[in-house]
Amino acid sequence: MSRRSALLLGSAVVFAVVFQASVLPIHIDTPFKPDLLLIIMAYLALRGSFELGTPMAWLLGLLKDIFSGLYLGLNAFSFLLVFLVIKSVADRLYAESGFLFVVTVVVATLISATVNLLLLLMFTDTPGIAYSMFAGLIPHLLVNSFAASLVALLPAFERDQDVA
Amino acid sequence: MDLFKKYGFIMLIGTGVFVALIFYSLNVPRNREANVIERVVMTVFSPILKPAVRLSGFFEDAWDGYVNLVDVKRENLKLRDEIKELNTRLVAGNEAQKSNQRLQHLLEMKNTVKAPSLSASVVGEDVSSWFRTVIIDRGSSSGIRDGMAVVAADGVVGQIVKTAPTTSRVLLLTDHSSGIAATIQRSRARGVVKGKEGGLCSLEFTTRDEDVKVGDMVVSSGIGGLFLKGLPIGEVTMVKRGEYGIFQTVTIRPAVNIAHLEEVLVVLRGGYE
Repeated sequence: MSRRSALLLGSAVVFAVVFQASVLPIHIDTPFKPDLLLIIMAYLALRGSFELGTPMAWLLGLLKDIFSGLYLGLNAFSFLLVFLVIKSVADRLYAESGFLFVVTVVVATLISATVNLLLLLMFTDTPGIAYSMFAGLIPHLLVNSFAASLVALLPAFERDQDVA
Repeated sequence: MDLFKKYGFIMLIGTGVFVALIFYSLNVPRNREANVIERVVMTVFSPILKPAVRLSGFFEDAWDGYVNLVDVKRENLKLRDEIKELNTRLVAGNEAQKSNQRLQHLLEMKNTVKAPSLSASVVGEDVSSWFRTVIIDRGSSSGIRDGMAVVAADGVVGQIVKTAPTTSRVLLLTDHSSGIAATIQRSRARGVVKGKEGGLCSLEFTTRDEDVKVGDMVVSSGIGGLFLKGLPIGEVTMVKRGEYGIFQTVTIRPAVNIAHLEEVLVVLRGGYE
């Protein structure tokens, strides 16, 4: 990974956390918050290397856990799993396509939510979480795909082929 | 003849001055009337004077306009800056007024809480859509510990779950993992307030024979020692009793407006070691 790419990635992660935790909640309702860290992870899965992307995906999930919920490691695990799934098919995909990126983010959101739900039901006492997750899934998918389409419009998305 | 030649010019001047004096003296008694000369001259000049005045006025206006325009642009920019500044002050003033009202309510709550407490500002929310937590700007360095109760001006907010030196996370009472021992203020029926979807809560483990009605106020029972007794939690909005089952379903709308939470009080009591 070049120094420029590392800097860009670091800035994007910091921006995503601050934007998602402190800026967006003031302006939009909770179900309509995009999962920017998941989008970054999906980007890494499509464009990044396996060696660097795997720990990065786990760390991104961990970062999300630090600012979300009670269960440290929940998103770290689901992000890692989603990364591995996407990475296993990424070589056969046209990773430069913006549309494919949006589809990938939608799939990643679905897998991540499913894994989170399973882990929560298996390991925690959170009655009613399934209903909340199902109720919020559609807006969450839509917002994530919208945010992903905006990312696909960025000039860096076209140019930056060397993330790792 | 020589005399005339010698003093002719002086005499001419003297005569002229004398005639002018006579002319003046003759006109003094009729100073309010126009004589022939005046009338003729005025008549001759009258058609010219009017357009001349108009033209002069036009040039005056044009000149003044130009000079003013030079200043107007500068003044316009200055006024715009002043308006911006005044608007900013107005917004800041309104914000300060609202903040003052909120803090006043919070202070009233602080006085009713019979334990040391610490005010904190909400600086962030949960990044995920499934969980309900907020981040506050006070942490372990301010004496905050995990498990401490958090209240706002209108009632219970939740409890501290994860503390860092300068920030903490608060698990809101609307989160599915939250549980607060509560009682119905009117009938003293007991239960546990748990979070549910849509920013609401439910009163769990309240047996079906307990007296719970829509509109009842739910307050903390103090059981468990986490929350002080009698803090407002919310209002009962729905009660359902099925034909079977031990418990009734009670839905509660939180007293605190979770979506617009800005300042909170952390009750510096209890908490986990």
